[in-house]
Amino acid sequence: MTRRISKSKRFYMMNPIIQFFKFIYLSIKIMLIVAGGHGGTRKANY
Amino acid sequence: MSKIVILGAGISGHVAAAHLRRKLSKQHEVLVVSPNSNYQWIPSNIWVGIGRMKSEEILFPLQPLYKKKGIGYKQAKVSTFHPEGDSETEKPFVRVEYVAGEKKGQTEKVTYDYLINATGPKLAFDMTEGLNPGTNKAYSVCTYTHAEHAWDALNDLIQQMKQGKKAKILIGTGHAKSTCQGAAFEYILNVEQELRRHNVRDKAEIVWIANEPQLGDFGMDGMLLSYGNNIMKSSEMVEMVFEDRGIKWIIGAGVNKIEDGVAHYETLDGEYNSETYDFAMLIPAFSGHGFKAFDKNNQDITEKLFKGFMIVDADYTPKSYEEWSVQDWPETYQNPSYKNIFAPGIAFAPPHAISKPRVSKNGTSISPSPPRTGMPSGITAKLVADNIIDAINGKNNLQHKGSMGNMGAACIASAGYGMTKGSGISITTFPIVPDYNKYPDTQGRKLSKTFGEIGLAGHWLKLALHYAFIYKAKMRPFWWLIPE
Ligand SMILES: Cc1cc2nc3c(=O)[nH]c(=O)nc-3n(C[C@H](O)[C@H](O)[C@H](O)COP(=O)(O)OP(=O)(O)OC[C@H]3O[C@@H](n4cnc5c(N)ncnc54)[C@H](O)[C@@H]3O)c2cc1C
Repeated sequence: MTRRISKSKRFYMMNPIIQFFKFIYLSIKIMLIVAGGHGGTRKANY
Repeated sequence: MSKIVILGAGISGHVAAAHLRRKLSKQHEVLVVSPNSNYQWIPSNIWVGIGRMKSEEILFPLQPLYKKKGIGYKQAKVSTFHPEGDSETEKPFVRVEYVAGEKKGQTEKVTYDYLINATGPKLAFDMTEGLNPGTNKAYSVCTYTHAEHAWDALNDLIQQMKQGKKAKILIGTGHAKSTCQGAAFEYILNVEQELRRHNVRDKAEIVWIANEPQLGDFGMDGMLLSYGNNIMKSSEMVEMVFEDRGIKWIIGAGVNKIEDGVAHYETLDGEYNSETYDFAMLIPAFSGHGFKAFDKNNQDITEKLFKGFMIVDADYTPKSYEEWSVQDWPETYQNPSYKNIFAPGIAFAPPHAISKPRVSKNGTSISPSPPRTGMPSGITAKLVADNIIDAINGKNNLQHKGSMGNMGAACIASAGYGMTKGSGISITTFPIVPDYNKYPDTQGRKLSKTFGEIGLAGHWLKLALHYAFIYKAKMRPFWWLIPE
């Protein structure tokens, strides 16, 4: 069954104050994933 | 002294040129050959296609920047590759043809010590009968000129809807093997929001059509995401968003013919259907450019360099889906026959798809080709540049590696423009190519690094990235601190 975006979720998604903190959180989280690096896959324990 | 020639000035070509120039002393020559005189930040074409940004905001001319930074530039396109030189020229070279200026139409041999092929994809509209941006009411947002035309047509339709016209809008993939579903996904959500902003949403039926077997496949076999405290499939997330926006969908559809306002397609069930529309934006198939290569004696050696796209250090042995592994994916993007040639970004030939291949009941292959988004394009270009720098400095060990099976990607899908009304779906995936051995219980991905978030913050993030990446591309002070 399709999940729906609830009223409270929508408020959370579009509230600028909450979303400001989300913006900071997401920027850091994405930066960490990007900075987490990359490498090969062909050596054991890559 | 070494000469490094870079073909293409898109995300990967430009990243490679910028890093090479910054890290190599001026005694080494860095030369870019690209037919488009402008750099464009392609992801923001979505906003050009809804009239919320002008092309000028997403592009800048390359020549003045390259001149200032000491990067050579030829506004030309490569036509043939000669990795062993020929009877007259000892050094390897590419033959290029000027596309503008006094030399327009003239060809020239451009010799090199190292060659980076960053020519991306050919937008293969010709692979779908009748699909040609701007004709048959079907458009594209793959370049800024395409996006401008798309907005002109959409705006026209919006004005008609304001007069009471009911309209149908079809957005998705225009070929059974298209990739880049993410861009079409962004565009459909942005169009939907713009229709609301213009108070004509009730006049429009909006339909998603794609070659994906499931919503949210994105050519990456879908993904399991953490979403708040929940774990959700990408298909469920996209379905939730489409339901919320009143968007209908047709999936498993290989569009094969476009007529004026009609898209014909075949489904995985083997049915032949058609869908009418008043405005469509359909992503074409991406193909290689059809380049030819020749050896010293002018014998055709194209198969040593190209398999559609350029051959690199991938494992191209044909295998079934069950046998695919992350180890098949390239790590250094070096051509195995000519070690001074590299192909980062979209220019390299992938070993196979990422999504499970699917064939219709009639035997037509209908499934997404593997995407290579901006982030991996930039990362692979930088590591190629770093390996070339090492080689120039006498270290030929290719120590910089970056397989898409051991690399994350952040994709911020715009879901609507506006500082207070905008929205974005922020998705990160690690790794891009699922590693089913390493992460067997979570569909090949590390859940802590694979998440989705929907909301206004996503729009701000996408906008911040737009400005950050244009700053970086303009090589403004400390540009290199901004990651790829
Ligand atoms: C509408 C749209 C939205 C997108 N949004 C996102 C997003 O939000 N996030 C994301 O990560 N990715 C996104 N992408 C994908 C991203 O744009 C690509 O991954 C990226 O552009 C690939 O970079 P590239 O340098 O390999 O190829 P390209 O950017 O295509 O560059 C290829 C270059 O080669 C040049 N060239 C072509 N032919 C020749 C020739 N014969 N000789 C010399 N040069 C040649 C071209 O002029 C161009 O400069 C989007 C793509 C599209 C189409």
